[in-house]
Amino acid sequence: MNFLRELRKNKWLYAMALPVLVYVLIFSYLPMSAHVLAFKQFRPIDGLWGSKWVGLDNLKFFFTGPDWLRVTINTIYLNFLFITAGTITALLIALMLNEIRQALFKRISQSIVILPHFISIMVVNLMVLNFFNGQDGMINRVLENAGLQTVDWFQTPSVWPFLLTFIFVWKGAGWNSIIYLATITGFSEEYYESARMDGAKRWQQIWYITLPLLRPTIIVLTLLALGRIFYGDFGLIYGIIGDNSLLFDTTDVIDTYIYRSLRSAGMNSYSNAAAVGLFQSIMGLITILFFNWIVRRVDNDSSLF
Amino acid sequence: MRMGQRDASQWLVSVAAYLYIGGFALLCLIPFWLVYIGSFTAEHQIVRGFRMFPTEFSLDSYRFLFKGNQVYRSGLVSIFITLVGTTGAVLMTSMFSYVVSHQKVKYRNVLSFYIYLTMLFTPGLVGYYLLISNWLDLRDSLLALILPLLFTPFNAFLMTSYFRTLPFELNEAATMDGAHELYIFFRIIWPVSMPIIATITLFYALSYWNDWFNALMFIDNPENHPLQMMLRRVVSNAQNLDYLNANVNIPVTASGVQLSTVCVTIGPIIFLYPFLQRYFVKGLTIGAVKG
Repeated sequence: MNFLRELRKNKWLYAMALPVLVYVLIFSYLPMSAHVLAFKQFRPIDGLWGSKWVGLDNLKFFFTGPDWLRVTINTIYLNFLFITAGTITALLIALMLNEIRQALFKRISQSIVILPHFISIMVVNLMVLNFFNGQDGMINRVLENAGLQTVDWFQTPSVWPFLLTFIFVWKGAGWNSIIYLATITGFSEEYYESARMDGAKRWQQIWYITLPLLRPTIIVLTLLALGRIFYGDFGLIYGIIGDNSLLFDTTDVIDTYIYRSLRSAGMNSYSNAAAVGLFQSIMGLITILFFNWIVRRVDNDSSLF
Repeated sequence: MRMGQRDASQWLVSVAAYLYIGGFALLCLIPFWLVYIGSFTAEHQIVRGFRMFPTEFSLDSYRFLFKGNQVYRSGLVSIFITLVGTTGAVLMTSMFSYVVSHQKVKYRNVLSFYIYLTMLFTPGLVGYYLLISNWLDLRDSLLALILPLLFTPFNAFLMTSYFRTLPFELNEAATMDGAHELYIFFRIIWPVSMPIIATITLFYALSYWNDWFNALMFIDNPENHPLQMMLRRVVSNAQNLDYLNANVNIPVTASGVQLSTVCVTIGPIIFLYPFLQRYFVKGLTIGAVKG
């Protein structure tokens, strides 16, 4: 047997991979079995396999209810805002950092714009509270001092898609610019040299040389992000919105909805959550396959598989 | 004439660059500054909200925090899970990534597809919850904070692409000399892989240090609350102050205590940050660009 001979020949190498293989089996493959709960009425005493089959009842419950369209649209819409604003800001940071010649300023400012990536959502949450909370939040006091109308942010759903996008960009754009900046640094100096010879202005060099060269990177990173458009940013959204139902209209995404269904005291909470989870996993699979197929057509080396 | 024009466009772009980067950096920094200053602001001042510069300094909210027991317990929990978890995660991930990058391993693509598959079709929250709380029975155990974060596919892919950039001769020469695979990995590959190992170590350490979700799901007993969970409690409910310090005899505001708690949780990150930054930019760059 070839298979056994290969295993024996490199037994130490395969042994080194074993911890991860076992780990992923237990922590990723085993929990997949819980997707069957989407078709069952789960009772903890009966267990996963002993529980009663109920066919499509749980899925029907989700899709005939008022929530499914809202959470699906919110998930896609928020991700769309995050990807667009995040990509543009990260790109600008990389392009502008690349123009800065003063080494110390460059290094320190790069460190600072990356820093928010490293703090937990709980810390961000406290900052957001201090800025936007009720009457004594910083923003409202500034508005008040300027003689403007204050806003009760935590009771105004319509502002949150933009606030969340702002927070997302604040936290992640500096970090995401690293990859763009690294790619730019790799571009040959020759292009710029000859452009300068032809009298190209600095901004023309950015527009006609740097950006076109960056295009494959931008496209690939965006497509990979689009592949995950059915997965909401649970940490960010739940960490900041929490269980504030006043804001659910614009901020409730599939992931927070599943979490709440699971934690709800309802009889059928596990099965309802599992039905939504199955919907998300299937849609996630389809979108990832679809966008990866596009990535492969754009740039074969960058596709996931 | 042409010379002058070029200088002008260069100058204009430079000004824009300094303004944009300076502005964004300031935007990133201000919230940190406000939190830091706020944590030292006297109680009767903080009631009136945040200030850029305080007029009266006070250590009361720190005194309050450090006279209680919870901050020590939670600090120990956070340090423990970060140390143990990161060590295990880096060992597991690096060994696996090395094998996947190894040219002699015939089934390396099968191994990496085995990981990809879990990203394509996700297990979902219900299965995850059942696994930790029912099947493995880890409720209220520190293992519920350590095990879930032991492996991240992204980190493995980053490491694999780094290992692929190493010359295979390094490996061949050692194999010729009859060196054991484990020896080759730990004595020959590790020393030349420091940027990526430092990067991955940082990523895992941060994911442990900043994790609150697993504590929220699985840890009810305050003795096993990590710092982020302690912070969440203090922020979500201002009445929770006696959870930090049962014998309240220092006049503090909930807001002041929240801010000093934040400073305690992000202090270590800010402190270690300058040392680690040059590693992770390099590690991330090599892994990503060559990948």
